[in-house]
Amino acid sequence: MMMPCLNRASTRTASSALAVCMALLVCSAPVEAQLLPLARVLELSAGGAGAVGAAGEARGCRDVAGCDSRREQGARLILAAAESAPGESAGDAGGALSKLRSLTRGNEIEDQFLPLDKAFKVEVKVKDAQTLVAEFTPADTYYLYRDRIRFAVPKESDISIARVSIPPGEMKSDPNFGDTEVFHKPFQAVITLDRAQSRDALRLLVEARYQGCSEKGLCYPPAKRSFDLTLAAWQPPAALASDLSSPKANASAPTIATSRSEVAGTTAGSGSDALPGDKASAQNETSKVAGLLKSGSFWVVVVSFFGAGLLLSFTPCVLPMVPILSGIIVGQGHRVTKRQAFTLSLAYVVGMAITYTLAGIGAGLSGTLLSNALQNPWVLGVFAALFVVLSLSMFGFYELQLPSAFQSKLSDTSNKVKGGTFWGVFIMGVLSALIVGPCVAAPLAGALLYINQTRNAVLGGTALFALALGMGIPLLAVGLSAGTLLPKAGAWMQTIKNLFGVMLLGLAIWIISPVIPSSVHMLLWATLLIVSAIYLHAIDPLPHNASGFHKLWKGVGVIALLLGVALLAGALSGGRDILQPLAGLRGAGAAPVDLSGQPKFERVHSLAELDQRVAQARGRAVMLDFYADWCVSCKEMERFTFADPQVQARMSRMLLLQADVTANAEQDRELLQRFGLFGPPGILFFGPDGQEVERVRVIGFQPAEKFVGALDAVLGSS
Amino acid sequence: MRLGGRAAAVAAGPTAVGLMGARLPDVDGRTQAFQQWRGKVLVVNFWATWCVPCREEIPAFIKVQNRWGGQGLQIVGVAIDENDKVRPYAAQLKINYPILVGGLDGIDLARQAGNRLGGLPFTVIFDRRGNPVHSQLGGAMTQEKLEQFIRPLL
Repeated sequence: MMMPCLNRASTRTASSALAVCMALLVCSAPVEAQLLPLARVLELSAGGAGAVGAAGEARGCRDVAGCDSRREQGARLILAAAESAPGESAGDAGGALSKLRSLTRGNEIEDQFLPLDKAFKVEVKVKDAQTLVAEFTPADTYYLYRDRIRFAVPKESDISIARVSIPPGEMKSDPNFGDTEVFHKPFQAVITLDRAQSRDALRLLVEARYQGCSEKGLCYPPAKRSFDLTLAAWQPPAALASDLSSPKANASAPTIATSRSEVAGTTAGSGSDALPGDKASAQNETSKVAGLLKSGSFWVVVVSFFGAGLLLSFTPCVLPMVPILSGIIVGQGHRVTKRQAFTLSLAYVVGMAITYTLAGIGAGLSGTLLSNALQNPWVLGVFAALFVVLSLSMFGFYELQLPSAFQSKLSDTSNKVKGGTFWGVFIMGVLSALIVGPCVAAPLAGALLYINQTRNAVLGGTALFALALGMGIPLLAVGLSAGTLLPKAGAWMQTIKNLFGVMLLGLAIWIISPVIPSSVHMLLWATLLIVSAIYLHAIDPLPHNASGFHKLWKGVGVIALLLGVALLAGALSGGRDILQPLAGLRGAGAAPVDLSGQPKFERVHSLAELDQRVAQARGRAVMLDFYADWCVSCKEMERFTFADPQVQARMSRMLLLQADVTANAEQDRELLQRFGLFGPPGILFFGPDGQEVERVRVIGFQPAEKFVGALDAVLGSS
Repeated sequence: MRLGGRAAAVAAGPTAVGLMGARLPDVDGRTQAFQQWRGKVLVVNFWATWCVPCREEIPAFIKVQNRWGGQGLQIVGVAIDENDKVRPYAAQLKINYPILVGGLDGIDLARQAGNRLGGLPFTVIFDRRGNPVHSQLGGAMTQEKLEQFIRPLL
């Protein structure tokens, strides 16, 4: 029943769909059908004047409250909803009864209320050999009284309850009884057992007692549920400080059956511990990769990382490296032989691989990513400028030559691959590995997470090495062929150089994109594309005897021109997404960005503070946003996604926390490490039970539509 | 809420099928039979001191009993509760109709009368011949609503 509800909840019509689902859930089956399997129906036979009396004796209730429960502990319920019409008596009482039954069957007010089992879901599970966890889930608008929660175990089991921890509830003010603590939202009670007398593994019948009401004006009598649990054998800890609190004698209930020892909840309010969450269904990329590393055998992992590296090499992060390398090779001029080109490429790739491996091992062991430190605007700006300068060399403004001393050295050692050039390229490989951006970050973070968690530097290091090699294969191929494909002379050489120059400029733009506004980013690309298009003769008329290539280039130029124009139009019309520049022109979408309604985040500065806030917010979903001053996608989320009214509507139902890790202090790093993050951006969610919803993690910018889906997934599961 | 006294429940448990045939002790310990109110328009209200919505309704019942008691209306409260809680409460509120103490077992009686969920408050209205004509589970009963049902029966 709930499954289709959750799926529907992820669409934009979430609220209406959820309302329909709620209504269906409440009214889904006739109440009789729900209750019948839970009780044995005593048929009221004709003239059964003694039936109730007999039932009363046959109840075998251990104590008073047991008669109201629906569990099999010897409690039989007399259900007026028995369908057996023929069995009814002809007597007055029976007739009246049947009339009453038919009357109340369709009582609509009754249908508003849920049967006890649906109103309050209770589950008691074993956490470890001496701890149980009871999860209570009141339905929407239902609540449980905190001081009515009790647990009992049979005395013959030689186990007693040492302590019960129930989190603090919400205060409810009652005109007669004063303030009582209640729970509207799900909560967990932790039951600590005293196993000094019974250390072997055994089965235990645990009874949970609770009492609650509905806000709509119905109260349920005290209820009980028993759970048949299996406990493992228990080893006493070295220093056995048994914390036996004597069972609280309930003064006004003298007849509690003495066959059971019972402990009421203390006011410890410590909240329940998190159950070890080994969620196999993590859809988070990072966790998937970490999972892959854990589960696979050594070489399978290494080989799959090699394949991943190969794929990664086709991403915008790595492919632009090709022109640099090629540029360096091309810049060498005719001196480069095939062998030298290949060796240079190899140097580059090995440099990169070693960096990956070393940085991976080092970062994993220390828990931070080196590139985190390098991801600040100044460094990026310098590298972008560097690439612009290199591109100018490609365009022919100057010749990039190594100093003559190096050149002569190269000529002296032209058959050897040692020398300035080799190490220069090697160092370039080493450096470029540190600048990789988002597209390799997820698998990289996964591998580093693994290293950090398992200390298996060997596997992690080897896997990363394989990754880097995979990434380097195209470089090797290009390096191998670039030297040979290029003719020693030719007019089109300049065109190729120009092309590389453009790619270098594009790379420069891409490098600084994290620290510039989206509109500037789009404008830069537009400029690049349009100017390139002009150079490709996009708007020059084709001469009569134009060659095939000429036409091809013109076609490419026209496309580039159109793309550039689209980006220009998009940037000027408020588009944000470089891949959807004209989105701003679509329909009624372009509402002015209203920063006044920004959701308010509360800052947390340390792990302790975070834990405290999450525990306090028990019952609400919590959103934790990692932020840093230099994290532009964080700022973009603020500007574009958080300002969306649909997003805000959902965010207002959550507690919003923000961790500013700009300073990268000890506490900031602890926070990041707790969640396996190496830096912002990162948005995590906690459900109302205080556990992280691991499958919904938002790393990087997400437009409002997508983010709404993520929020609904978190809220829908609460 | 406190768990009720078991002894009281067994001794005074309902001894006949159906609400009209039931007998329960009142706050003074005397056994009362529902049959004695046959011929009146009987409103049986199941409630408890630990049930906040139940307590909120009681003033309305008191008012209605005052107004229509002379014309043959009888409200009877059945407390699913312990006498040592019910008695002072009834006195404090000056409840002007009989309160019977059903103990926590008394909820079975309500179930027989059609209270499938076993929740409180639960009210049943019988006509002068002892036939049930209306029942309501939960939600605050108001004076207007009560009068709407009992007037045609009086």
